[in-house]
Amino acid sequence: MNPFQYASPHSVDGAISQAGDHGRFFAGGIDVLGEMKEYIASPRVLVNVKDLPGTRDISAGKPWTIGANVTISEIEQHAELKLVFPGLQQAAAEVGSPQIRNVATVGGNLAQHSRCWYYRHRDIQCLKRGGSTCYAREGENKYHSLFTGNPCISPVVSNLAVALAALDAKVIVRRGKDEVAMAIPDLYAKAWDNPQAHNSLGPTDLILRVQIPDDGRTSAYKQISEKASFDWALVSCAAAAKVDGKKLSKVRVVLGAVSPVPYQVQAAHEFLEGKELNDDLAAHASEIVLKDAVALDHNGYKVPIARALIRRTLKQLVG
Amino acid sequence: MSSWPEKLTVVGGSTKRVDTPAKVTGEARYASDVQPTGWLYGMIFRSRWPAACVTRVNVDKARKMPGIKAAVVERDGERVVRFYGDELAAVAGVSKQACLDALRAIEVEATPLPFVVKEEAAKNLDAPRVWPDAPNLAEPNVREKGDVDKAFAGAAAVVDGFFTTPVQLHHPLETHGNTVSVTNDGVTCWASTQGIFSVREGLASYLDVPQEKVRVITDYMGGGFGSKFGPGPHGGLAARLSQAAGVPVKLMLTRFDQALAVGNRPSSFQKIRLGADADGKLVAFDMDSFGTAGIGAGAASAGGGGGSGFPAPYIYAVPNIRVKQATVAINAGQSCAFRAPGHPIASFGMESIMDELAAKLKMDPVELRVKNDPSKIRQREYAIGAERFGWKQKYKPPGSSPGPVKVGVGCAGATWGGGGRGSQAEAQINPDGSVEIRCGTQDLGTGSRTMVGVVAAEVFGLKPEQITIKIGDTRYPPSGASGGSTTAASVCPAIFDTCTVALQKLQETTGVADARGANWLAACKKLGVNPLTAHGEWREGLSSSGVGGVQFAEVEVDTETGLVKVRKVLCVQDCGLIVNKLTCETLIHGGIVMGLGYALYEERVMDATTGFVLNPNFETYKLPNFADVPDIEVILMEMPERGVIGVGEPCTIPTASAIANAVANAIGVRVSSLPITPARVLMASGKAVKPGGTV
Repeated sequence: MNPFQYASPHSVDGAISQAGDHGRFFAGGIDVLGEMKEYIASPRVLVNVKDLPGTRDISAGKPWTIGANVTISEIEQHAELKLVFPGLQQAAAEVGSPQIRNVATVGGNLAQHSRCWYYRHRDIQCLKRGGSTCYAREGENKYHSLFTGNPCISPVVSNLAVALAALDAKVIVRRGKDEVAMAIPDLYAKAWDNPQAHNSLGPTDLILRVQIPDDGRTSAYKQISEKASFDWALVSCAAAAKVDGKKLSKVRVVLGAVSPVPYQVQAAHEFLEGKELNDDLAAHASEIVLKDAVALDHNGYKVPIARALIRRTLKQLVG
Repeated sequence: MSSWPEKLTVVGGSTKRVDTPAKVTGEARYASDVQPTGWLYGMIFRSRWPAACVTRVNVDKARKMPGIKAAVVERDGERVVRFYGDELAAVAGVSKQACLDALRAIEVEATPLPFVVKEEAAKNLDAPRVWPDAPNLAEPNVREKGDVDKAFAGAAAVVDGFFTTPVQLHHPLETHGNTVSVTNDGVTCWASTQGIFSVREGLASYLDVPQEKVRVITDYMGGGFGSKFGPGPHGGLAARLSQAAGVPVKLMLTRFDQALAVGNRPSSFQKIRLGADADGKLVAFDMDSFGTAGIGAGAASAGGGGGSGFPAPYIYAVPNIRVKQATVAINAGQSCAFRAPGHPIASFGMESIMDELAAKLKMDPVELRVKNDPSKIRQREYAIGAERFGWKQKYKPPGSSPGPVKVGVGCAGATWGGGGRGSQAEAQINPDGSVEIRCGTQDLGTGSRTMVGVVAAEVFGLKPEQITIKIGDTRYPPSGASGGSTTAASVCPAIFDTCTVALQKLQETTGVADARGANWLAACKKLGVNPLTAHGEWREGLSSSGVGGVQFAEVEVDTETGLVKVRKVLCVQDCGLIVNKLTCETLIHGGIVMGLGYALYEERVMDATTGFVLNPNFETYKLPNFADVPDIEVILMEMPERGVIGVGEPCTIPTASAIANAVANAIGVRVSSLPITPARVLMASGKAVKPGGTV
């Protein structure tokens, strides 16, 4: 990696001013250090945000609050969280390996960059890295998006983003002097349109915490990976709903790893609203979600996986 | 002819590895652990072009970087590089970061050349040529026996298939590399190698120094699987860096490097037709195949059609055969030996088409195999395995398993040589009863060191931990490279002979009629001051060659997501006289896990546009984790009368075939390409959306 300065501020203001336009925030380091070692990123300053006050707590309430520096393991192992937001706990449990979960943080998981093998290759200057071509489009795209609004087809791979989207969570971001509450769709909206964006965050936007409404809904998360552990999802799915017998309301169904944003379709939510779940209904909902999917040379298999996961995740909601 | 004693007490038992404490405490020094005084890190600068004419490589700036003590160009003058990752230069410095920085200061002048990295594209006559003077596709090797067309015409059942296997990368957990010290007095190389003497030969010739001036040490090493015989280009570069810097240089490759330039298993594309009579007796076999061994393939390579050839129709007796095998060169790293070279490839095509034939004939696949497999040993192994596995109860017609998650079973057989010869050894018995065995073999992690102790302990009536075992040093009596599953069959007889001679000498010298076991210490004391030494070597009669082996797999396949989960693999394996049951079984476990990787996960992905390997890391080059490993059961078929035979390779051959057959049996559709990923299962089942298609 290239040389860099290291700063360890104790205030959010300090962190933001030290990061400037050429810095990167550093918490678990899983994502940013990987980019630096491959010379994909060469920040002038690495700003350690782990010491920022109040960012390591999980507190129950309406809403629940999870600090940006809470580790994935802490979510995975939090007994109460598991009862209230089972989908979030299941999403956390599928992240990386135990070693990674022990250091990776909520903020880092949400803000992580593309895992596209073209983007991550040290010698490929792809579209996302400021080049002119998305090599994956005509190339090896088995891990890539079925839906996108721009020429880059690398998908969002944050498990937590998918689960939090289903839970209607808000991500509290410090932007300049203000704290902005961004819904998950807002947090990733820019990545839908802009091939160079991984999310909507600017270089000095800092995730402080996540707020999850405790609105009596239950949730579930499932993913399919090629390997049984320590592997990225080929497709993931999170769902949340208020469940009354088999009747669903306030439904959310979200897909991961198929689009640069956690992918959800309002029409599917509306279709499911107030209905009793059965296999046909779930199958119909999955068709609504997948209606606009466009298969590339090697990723058409993601469609049946997504279909199955939507059905299974909804089914898990009603128990 | 020598022979093993009828009654064996240590040999054939289960002895824990003698070096386990050293390994778990970190006391064991691998090639990557040694730190001779003043040592430097070494690192390689590689081609960023899949093909280019390189006119100049300038390391002057790199040499002047902070912490850099040496920089060398791989070869002078204009040259053509033919794959991304080809070695161009190397640097040595005081830290990894210093080397990384220096690599970025190396200047190269080059003209990019057209390239091709996909086998099927490379076959086209108008494809860019990897080697200018010859087409990429070699003339095929052709073998013909009998009248194939006539036999097919008269066959009761004929099946066709097209099977492909990927390039599998070598990823031993210890990467390739050496620590080399070149001084005026000689060369010392701590090598991560399968052959200390082949490294010595390679380095001596590279540096043009007498072999007696080169000492190679491999105390411990972290796996080779066929890819670590010579010093490698990295070994030569490390030596030159050491020469230039005047201190030892440790040059261990990075995981990224491993994916490019250390060898790999060739790919294969196999078109097969197989015919049988109504009873299931095979009558005709026709194969047209090609594959790539990277740049070391095609018409320009020595041996024409060689490089990615493999045995066909593998283990089966077929009276009428036509085999056409060709290799195609691509701009990618060259193949090399890979655990059972040729065999897993051969097994996958042949065992797949055998199951297709069984389905067509509505015959039990085990029955079809036993009928056509001339090996009496495998026939017995099928009987033992089928019984233990519950094959008769578990086998159902393909696709008949109910529900979305379907269960299936499959089987496959293997053959291998596993013979070895030529090892020498010496023993030194000291008056205090301690005893040292020296042999210039090396332990790849297979348990060779323990095996030496087991055989010596057997002869002396001692415990293996009472033996001091010295291996992995070219100062010891020579032994062969550890490849082809030859080590056990080569080393054990030499140790047995050496210890037998030593024991006789001890008994003669001291007058103790039986110096073994309880009498050992008293006998040794009678030696006086000087220790006793004895020399011995491999003898006929203590080892042999030729093993079978069959495996059964049970899988479940989620037909909605394409996910395959292997529930169980049962292996019935012969390997003659078993030296150490524990390490023999764990070796087989490892072979099965490697076969599992070949079946479900591993595949080098080349990008046609850039010519790069897209998955040069463990994130995207997928190896099995513990969570993927099924229940593994090993039944060793003991045949002590045959002497010692190696087992490192046969145990990995049939795993992928058995799993693939189990998947086909579960879902009623064959996934005819490895690895069997969810994507391939869903494509084979017609469930994946076609390119450009919408829902």
